[in-house]
Amino acid sequence: MLELSPLTRIEGHLAIHAEVEAVGDASGPGAHRIVRARCEGEMFRGFEVLLAGRHPLDAPQIVQRICGVCPVAHGLASIRAQESIYGITPTANGRLLRNLILAADTLHSHLFHFYQLALLDYVDASAVLRYAGRDRALGALKQWLETATAQAASPAAVPAAPFLPRFEGRYADGLELHWTLLARYGEALAMRRTAHAMGAVFAARLPHGASLVPGGCTQTPTAELVAQYRTRLARLAEFIERAYLPDAIAVARAFPQYWEIGGGYGNFLCFGDLEPDGAIARLAAPGVLCGKTWAPLDEQAIAEDVASSWFSSPSRLHPARGQTKAEPRKPGAYSWLKAPRYRGLPMEVGPLARILVNYHSPHPWSGRQEVDRVLASVGVGPEKLVSVMGRTLCRAIEAAMVARQAAAWLAQVEPDAPPARPFTPRDGVGHGLVEAPRGALGHWLAIKDGKIAHYQCVMPTTWNCSPRDDAGQPGPVEKALEGLVVADPKQPLEAGRVVRSFDPCLACAVH
Amino acid sequence: MKLTRRQFLEIGSALASLIGLPHAEGKVLAEGVERLAHGRIRVLWLQGLACSGCSVSLLNAENPPILQVFLAQVALAFHPTLSAAQGHLASEVVERVGRGTDPFVLVVEGAVPLERPEACRWAGRPFAETLHGLAARAKFLVAAGTCASYGGIPSAEGNPTGAAGVREYLEKVNVPFQGRLVHCPGCPCHPDDLLAVLAHLAAKGYPEVRPATLTPAFFSASSLHDECLRAPAFTMRLFATHFGDGEGCLYQLGCRGHDATGDCARRRWNGGVNWCIQASAPCIGCNRPEFAKSRSAGFYNLGGPMR
Repeated sequence: MLELSPLTRIEGHLAIHAEVEAVGDASGPGAHRIVRARCEGEMFRGFEVLLAGRHPLDAPQIVQRICGVCPVAHGLASIRAQESIYGITPTANGRLLRNLILAADTLHSHLFHFYQLALLDYVDASAVLRYAGRDRALGALKQWLETATAQAASPAAVPAAPFLPRFEGRYADGLELHWTLLARYGEALAMRRTAHAMGAVFAARLPHGASLVPGGCTQTPTAELVAQYRTRLARLAEFIERAYLPDAIAVARAFPQYWEIGGGYGNFLCFGDLEPDGAIARLAAPGVLCGKTWAPLDEQAIAEDVASSWFSSPSRLHPARGQTKAEPRKPGAYSWLKAPRYRGLPMEVGPLARILVNYHSPHPWSGRQEVDRVLASVGVGPEKLVSVMGRTLCRAIEAAMVARQAAAWLAQVEPDAPPARPFTPRDGVGHGLVEAPRGALGHWLAIKDGKIAHYQCVMPTTWNCSPRDDAGQPGPVEKALEGLVVADPKQPLEAGRVVRSFDPCLACAVH
Repeated sequence: MKLTRRQFLEIGSALASLIGLPHAEGKVLAEGVERLAHGRIRVLWLQGLACSGCSVSLLNAENPPILQVFLAQVALAFHPTLSAAQGHLASEVVERVGRGTDPFVLVVEGAVPLERPEACRWAGRPFAETLHGLAARAKFLVAAGTCASYGGIPSAEGNPTGAAGVREYLEKVNVPFQGRLVHCPGCPCHPDDLLAVLAHLAAKGYPEVRPATLTPAFFSASSLHDECLRAPAFTMRLFATHFGDGEGCLYQLGCRGHDATGDCARRRWNGGVNWCIQASAPCIGCNRPEFAKSRSAGFYNLGGPMR
């Protein structure tokens, strides 16, 4: 057995359990191959249950607390569901400001994933102990790690987070790459902080933006606020071009084997991001991709299975009729995640899905050239994207696109014009679809007698980290782990790389 | 990373001014940060029924910069979102700190499922069990955020897990917490509050707290309304009538500024960029013990049933 529990450097509580078999010595003594893997979501709060009976206007604030890493997308999904019921659309400013807030949250999330969550799977912090150069940040890090390692000799010592201890294993060759990327750890923390401060210019604060409401956004955009956002966006765009994209490419070059690893099903789903409005360009249009076959999105084709989930409520329900009844002792179940399926198929969602669905879409898409340009510089074709490196690189490519698009939206903001449209809540049924940083997100809502009568969410990581469905099909991450060879099943560095390439967010997935 | 005495003083006085302490208190906080830096007290961070929002908020600390204080200066033993340690390495680090003789501060983010322990597992065990053992041995306990302090949204009326704050859990399992547990509420908690609490614990030990809320007495006790930029509008009975109405007091939209205490108006969020009422968003009282608990007490007054 291979146990990766707890899986750290993700959001939330996830354990990976896998059956392994020994492989020949060609892969090194002790190497094992994963035969079957299980993703166990280990936490449940019951948001859908506790939302029932509340005033619908509480929902955009409450659902943001599903996840502190990607709250904005939840707020927007709830708001869109309500706007469809109230029969309103946001003002032009409201739509732009919400897009700008979501863009800021997406940039924070992507930067955080690469530099703080995933990076330490590829880079060995102890490499800095051999640094002899003059970079001040690296010098300071070296000094700190020296102290920590010296203390580690004593029996009472506790190693220093975040860098130590870590799994032994094969990290990148050479030292230069380690030094470059470790020096960026701190810089990237400052940049993701900048992204949140940028979003807070219109969101009031982040995480958990207070300004998001049906009808738009409460913050009137003054010329000064637009300038505040612009200054920070310029810094972020510069960092993405100078550091993030080149660093993601450097990691891809150092680990070419990960173009062949962790692909999974190759089924992709995209709800379409950043509000559908003819006047506002969108980064990704909705669609479904199985292999190379593109199809338009059919929201009615979604259903959630619960055969392997700790719920006694009925299975295969569309979220508009979905139920959430916890049963932690249910036989055969092993996760707090449901298993959403699209026409019965497990689907992958996220930046890779957004890019591939649009890349293979019959409709024109402005991002295609950029993807081709980056892939040419790495020397791989688009077919290689269905892999660990494909996910990592697509996230970086998307960050560059988001930054550029945000600049275009910002230019359209009309200072001092109304940010929100007044409305009157009313009863009805609706849903809101949005692309969260980690992929397709939907909230389904019914309002009766002025109160929430039904609330169901289907989250990006619920798609990706889902357990087996009623038909026994493993979820996308479980599938991506099958066949993976790990050099040492006691220190399954490689499995961590595969799972983290999906950027799991368990607080979302379990909600 | 070695810092000079002067640099510690700078960090301490920055923290003191951020949380509105007298300048002289900066020296105390500087000493606390220095003690943390030298590993005289370790920090162990665990998550229960949480969203990681308080961790993200902590990383949003602008001044003093977070990497300098928290990652390199605070002897952080483990953080689930940041630590390279994973799998058995992660649980070993946590166990080693818990069993060891060195003093440690246990920071808890998120609520505890009292009625359904299976609703939160960590490293193959119910989170409550891990918390029980560590809380009994920790020198100090910090409840980061409203969930860990009072239960927060996971404990809202009708919740299916029986979620509660750390204090209620410790009462239930008879682990004494007096003189050890500090609440740092807020949804999310403010990074300056959390850093100041950690520095204070390291320098001077347990702070004076308000008995009802277990919040440090040095947290602002004035009502948000008293310091609000829209308070004059309230006096003049000028009220905003809908979301996005940039003029007037937000009271009639449901703003909780009269009931909530805090210094959001002075310190604001994300490095001073903005805060809820400045953005015309009514305060929802996210640091209050009653936050989100009642199903019928809606956040806003707008159309529909009034709260």
